Amino acid sequence: MAGYVARRLLRAATTLLGTTLVLFVLVRVIPADPAVSIAGPKADPATLAAIRKDLGLDDPLAVQYGRYLWRLAHGDLGRSYVTGRGVAAVIGERLPATALLAVTSLAIGFTLGVAVGLLTAARQGSAADLAVLIATLVGLSIPTFFVGNLLVYAFGYRLRLLPLGGYGGLSHLILPAATLAFVELLFYARFVHSNVSGTLASDYVRTARAKGVPPLRLYLRHALRNALVPIVTLLGLDVASLMSGVVLTETVFNWPGLGRLAVQAVFNLDIPLVAGTVLFSAVLVLACNLAVDLLYGVIDPRVQHG
Amino acid sequence: MADTGRSRLLFLVGVGMITVIVLLALLAPRLTPYDPDVTVVARYTGPQPPSAAHPLGTDTLGRDVWARIVFGARTSLAVGALAMLVSLGIGVAVGLLAGYFGSWLDAALMWVVDLLLTMPTLLLLIVLATLLPPSLLTIPLVIGIVGWTTFARTVRGEVLSLRERDYVLAARALGASHGRVIVRHLLPGTLPSVLVLAALGMSGAIGLDAGLSYLGLGVPLPTPSWGRMISETQTYFAVAPWLVVVPGVAISTAVIGFNLIGYGLVDLLGAPRT
Repeated sequence: MAGYVARRLLRAATTLLGTTLVLFVLVRVIPADPAVSIAGPKADPATLAAIRKDLGLDDPLAVQYGRYLWRLAHGDLGRSYVTGRGVAAVIGERLPATALLAVTSLAIGFTLGVAVGLLTAARQGSAADLAVLIATLVGLSIPTFFVGNLLVYAFGYRLRLLPLGGYGGLSHLILPAATLAFVELLFYARFVHSNVSGTLASDYVRTARAKGVPPLRLYLRHALRNALVPIVTLLGLDVASLMSGVVLTETVFNWPGLGRLAVQAVFNLDIPLVAGTVLFSAVLVLACNLAVDLLYGVIDPRVQHG
Repeated sequence: MADTGRSRLLFLVGVGMITVIVLLALLAPRLTPYDPDVTVVARYTGPQPPSAAHPLGTDTLGRDVWARIVFGARTSLAVGALAMLVSLGIGVAVGLLAGYFGSWLDAALMWVVDLLLTMPTLLLLIVLATLLPPSLLTIPLVIGIVGWTTFARTVRGEVLSLRERDYVLAARALGASHGRVIVRHLLPGTLPSVLVLAALGMSGAIGLDAGLSYLGLGVPLPTPSWGRMISETQTYFAVAPWLVVVPGVAISTAVIGFNLIGYGLVDLLGAPRT
């Protein structure tokens, strides 16, 4: 078990290092001149030179990368080109809104999705099976922002029950959370449905059924338990796509979270802020995947020796 | 495994939906008398609802919505196809090399795949789209560069089992070069899954392109784009719902169509489920 944990930690560490390298290349090497981004295209050469010196842009790239890592290790994500504020502080300000939206919609979508998947589990190829397959396929094909817009139209404009967007009380949370939860629900429903359907058709479940195991126990102890490992894996991987959904949903509903922050930073060409947001989400995804890897040992005893 | 009759039905429904969109794109200039980028109403008094002259109405700038939809089909299909080809090229090459040579090359390439999977796709796309000037070439390139990991993982998995088959071992024993074994013996074996992934890749790329355009980061302005049709007009949703619903349905149709083709192909070609 200790060896397994050590391997996972090492892998997470190298991936994190790789992420910082990718972002460093994207932010520092590709753009022509950060000094111009800060001072504007009309700045005089003396100003530009001063900014370059200040940022250490004249040092070799390896030195700059080392300095970047050193600052990251101290929680310094750089300063916004536009407002001059620390990127870490700005992210910290926006994080609660995103966390509220993401956690609410994931909790609702995951719970309902697993329930729907279990309830609709059926013989593969049956009419019920096909119906779930088509419903989830169609639902997952509709763009998130379109789903959000339709909800705004129905509940905001027509029924006038809920606000059109913005941040505030529970009423502001309902529509954006429903938009994201819709996607999550279909995603988990489809997976649990096909996984449990497959398990129910397997020999050991048939044996258990023949021995007279009651249906509820059959579902929970045999089918769901077996699906648990892949479901948890999916949950870890899903964090990355959840973040993509958050960006679009926050834009539809003008929700003041990290997604809005990143998109606005892009329009301002505020590269440190964009890079900081991406790095933050990548660390979040890595942490979730690491947690999932470590959870395996608890859920599935076979993993410890593997 | 679902039975083949139903898979064929799903596949054919998907092919039907995509055929309609391809026809719209190909015949665009014949299907509408209007230029998609030009104000066509004589006196602008706000968006017009659908009428005989304008079957899907006019938008917030007095442009014909039907004209923008049929010309927008060209943008969506072109961006989707180009992006998919970029992903397919990188992914299949990486998958073949990693699966065939194994050892450190495999470890290094799969490390890159893991790296890409930890970065939220849309955020990475946003960063790349900021750095490159958006155009009809860079947008698909960026989507393709971000989306090749599924191709690589699937092809690698297939190659891992194919390379131990007798016919591959025989070819190597007869002295076939690595290049010949990869191209003549391994590549054809991965074709069924690559075709499935190509269909699913089209739907993914069209969806991502719509998302980017919705955020205002897609193909630049004069080109009609379904995603931006929604972002441009959503504030008028209450008075002119067709301006949002029509492009939304168009994007959904394209994505559903390619997904149906992909899922139908899984059973028709006997490709492994991914």
